Amino acid sequence: MRALMIVVLLLLPALAFAAEERYPFDDPAKRVLFVELTEELRCPKCQNQNIADSNAMVAEDLKRKVYQLVQEGQSKSEVVDYMKLRYGDFVYYQPPLNLITLSLWLLPLAFVLLAVVVLVKKRKRSKETNAHDLLAEAEEWLEKDK
Amino acid sequence: MLAELGHFSLVLALFLSILMAGYPLWGATTGQSSLMASARPLAIGVFLFTAFSYFCLTQSFLDDDFSIAYVAHNSNSLLPWYYKITAVWGGHEGSFLLWVLIFTAWSAAVALFSRSIPLDMVARVLSVLSLVGIGFYLYVLIASNPFERLLPFYPVDGRDLNPLLQDFGMIIHPPMLYMGYVGFSVVFAFAIAALINGRLDSTWARWSRPWTLAAWVFLTLGIALGSWWAYNELGWGGWWFWDPVENASFMPWLVGTALLHSLAVTEKRKVFKSWTVLLAIAAFSLSLLGTFLVRSGILVSVHSFASDPTRGLFILGLLVVVIGGSLLLYALRAPALTSVGRYEVMSRETMLMGNNILLSAATLVVLLGTLLPLVHKELGLGSISIGAPFFNQMFTWLIVPFVALLSIGPLSRWKNQPLSALKNQLLFAFLLAFFTTVLLGFAKDKVDYTAMLGLGLSVWVLIATVQEVRQRIAGMSASQGVMAKLSALTPSHWGMVAGHLGFAMMLVGIAMVSGYSEERDLRMSPGDQVELAGYHITFVGVERLDGPNYEGHVAHLDVYEGERHIGDLAAEKRFYTVQRTVMTEASVDIGLTRDLYVALGEQLPDGDWAVRAYVKPFVRWIWAGALLMAIGGLLSMSDKRYRMARLVEAPVSGNQQEVAV
Amino acid sequence: MKRIGLFLLPLALFLFVTLFLLQGLYSDPRERESSLLERQVPAFTLPDVMDETTQYNAQVFQGQVTLLNVWGTWCVTCAIELPFLTQLKEQGVRIVGLYYEQDLDPDFGGKSLPQIQQSIRDKLSQLGDPYEFNIFDVSRDYSIDLGVTGAPETFLIDREGRIRLHHVGDLNPRIWEQKFLPLYQELMGP
Repeated sequence: MRALMIVVLLLLPALAFAAEERYPFDDPAKRVLFVELTEELRCPKCQNQNIADSNAMVAEDLKRKVYQLVQEGQSKSEVVDYMKLRYGDFVYYQPPLNLITLSLWLLPLAFVLLAVVVLVKKRKRSKETNAHDLLAEAEEWLEKDK
Repeated sequence: MLAELGHFSLVLALFLSILMAGYPLWGATTGQSSLMASARPLAIGVFLFTAFSYFCLTQSFLDDDFSIAYVAHNSNSLLPWYYKITAVWGGHEGSFLLWVLIFTAWSAAVALFSRSIPLDMVARVLSVLSLVGIGFYLYVLIASNPFERLLPFYPVDGRDLNPLLQDFGMIIHPPMLYMGYVGFSVVFAFAIAALINGRLDSTWARWSRPWTLAAWVFLTLGIALGSWWAYNELGWGGWWFWDPVENASFMPWLVGTALLHSLAVTEKRKVFKSWTVLLAIAAFSLSLLGTFLVRSGILVSVHSFASDPTRGLFILGLLVVVIGGSLLLYALRAPALTSVGRYEVMSRETMLMGNNILLSAATLVVLLGTLLPLVHKELGLGSISIGAPFFNQMFTWLIVPFVALLSIGPLSRWKNQPLSALKNQLLFAFLLAFFTTVLLGFAKDKVDYTAMLGLGLSVWVLIATVQEVRQRIAGMSASQGVMAKLSALTPSHWGMVAGHLGFAMMLVGIAMVSGYSEERDLRMSPGDQVELAGYHITFVGVERLDGPNYEGHVAHLDVYEGERHIGDLAAEKRFYTVQRTVMTEASVDIGLTRDLYVALGEQLPDGDWAVRAYVKPFVRWIWAGALLMAIGGLLSMSDKRYRMARLVEAPVSGNQQEVAV
Repeated sequence: MKRIGLFLLPLALFLFVTLFLLQGLYSDPRERESSLLERQVPAFTLPDVMDETTQYNAQVFQGQVTLLNVWGTWCVTCAIELPFLTQLKEQGVRIVGLYYEQDLDPDFGGKSLPQIQQSIRDKLSQLGDPYEFNIFDVSRDYSIDLGVTGAPETFLIDREGRIRLHHVGDLNPRIWEQKFLPLYQELMGP
């Protein structure tokens, strides 16, 4: 009897059905690509969501299309181009490169360079400055504060 | 009746604000102390009238007074009472009233806890605050009145609160966030007052530091709560999406963080004065800009309020006056500021300034990423999207030098720090961090170099922080024990340690979640099982669900790790009947090293259910890190240099709890 | 006074940004240009929704100016625009429907084709039938090719089969007069 129980218990997991994936993949690399794409493609109908997170019909349709294209072996840029051709640059969360969008990278860089230059220049100048009048007064306040 | 009282009370608050903007400033200019002294009672008066007005609106929600348009749009008689209270800030008008209330609370707090500051300074600060406040009151009264009536025809029942907002996280998230946003108005007012006065020595930095810390602590907690709320409520396990509204709160935080450090340098070393003033103006300006972005409907976002251009125009006008005016004043007065302290290129000053630059560059990245799609479109170049891929790339670049400076900065001395003296420490920390990371990273079955970079940087911060504490106590007399030495360190020093460790902790969370999360999009029926990252999940079944103002389904899932029973998860799908909205209530098994997250989707035609399951390693560390950073801020505030402790002990009546932070 | 140039920079930047914010206030953030404008209608081979044996391809848009209207019986807004579309048809505008069904989808609902055809007949007899015929986008692939985000959406296609206009949302008299009519008259020629 006990032996039978053990056999049943051992069999139990095998009897249960494995849940079916909505987008099954044999190739783990394709799964990674699919997840990445659905997270970086924007749902064209929604407020501001990627197609992975949206339940809108067009998002579901695009997800299915991405799945199909990835299964066919298309690369990331091929799928992105496919979508951009139909839905415009808007559909991809990485902005296209042009004169205006270049400022996204160049302005922060320019800022850092400018700031470093000003920092170094100011430091040199500060060596020549004499102690300020207000400094004494400030020190006085800080003393009182202690 | 209550609505009219509330409305009238707001008008009185506006009237008092006008007085408060004029008298004390005039007094400070002409040296009449009786006029200056009027600032404090006026500030408290403005606060009380606004609070009464806010109370009237809350009471109207509790009374289900649907003749008030705002109540009718944002509440429902079936709504539980606690959500009726929070529904007050569930829509545009009410949340702006809360914003104004918090603004006046900060002014009142300045009035109460500024005994140690000279009266003329207090008078100027409160007048500046009040000048800004007048704009807010005019906006509420003219463009966004929450007390408007729907007479003579009003609905029998209300349209209900947006279901997204019916959640615990949402009860505290907006007030916290507003406390942070608006809190930067205080340091802003200090900076403007000092600019007007022309006395920008380091005293203003000393005075405004605790206020900045307080605002920063609130903002940190507010953002963390918002992220936590999105994680639980939106059903896809995300904790940050780079949505314009999130960015709007992140920008003041970045600048606020820079400001905290810059104020420290300005106070201690009397350098970077004009930069610190600019940051003080920027922090509050970005808060205002955020408000504009959220409330004008100018950007497409998940969370924005429905809105019309008149309101947007009004707030934009306010921005131009407040920000434009301050920046003009800055341009006129700042050139006169000279730094007196001397320092070498290799010194603590430069390290801190370096991180200030990086934080500001990060702010610029977020600002550009948020606004450029608008510019791009207005120039006729078409719609583009800027999201996670761009921001993640930029922040990965920025964080490497940032962490390097963060690790070296605290170890180095003011004025002059020859690199050679730090060589051994730095090499030790760097190599230890490197090898730890390599060991940890390759122990995983999946190699993710970005995640390893993040881990390595956090370990580096951790080691450097320990080194710094050791270095600090090494300088103390040898007779003391280690514990005695540690307790001799100031609270503000511990604040820094906690802040930096919190940052490292958050970085661990971000790196792990981004690199090693696992997810499955499944169709399940009762009895179905799935294996995910070592967990065995069984779909037990689905039950009907009946809530006070919603109905729906709840799915029960049983989770095992090997033989060990982890727990039963109950993921809900709710349908809010009045607003006709479907909401996902994810079920999460939380843990120190991972979250197991299950969200129920639609029922499929063949009877199966769509289920999403995620394993999110170390996701809690993101919020725990934020909490630790906030604790660091509180520790710094408690330092007796800022005399907050003494102030709290002083017998001050009124809303002490609200302000004694 | 020292040079204030650098110190004026923040103010200048702020005012520059303000200009765009002001402009942005008066434009709809959701409005987007279609990426298919001025391009040939994508190729397809799809059946008639009422009769699966009839097949259509892109040739149906050659030689005539056509309004291609994307719709479904499940779509509330589509029902609202049907009477107006019928008026247009009576004025001689050629309207072709692109029918798409979410309930046919295994992920959304389990309607059968005869059920769909019945609901189409009901809807059209009740609100008016503007369509010369309805192309059935069985798997909604063609909608993706057209960059459709939902229903209703309307395309204006010229005699050469090029897409000249793409309107998202319902087509009402105001939209027709402002957005469609000038171009439509130009395409129809003298």
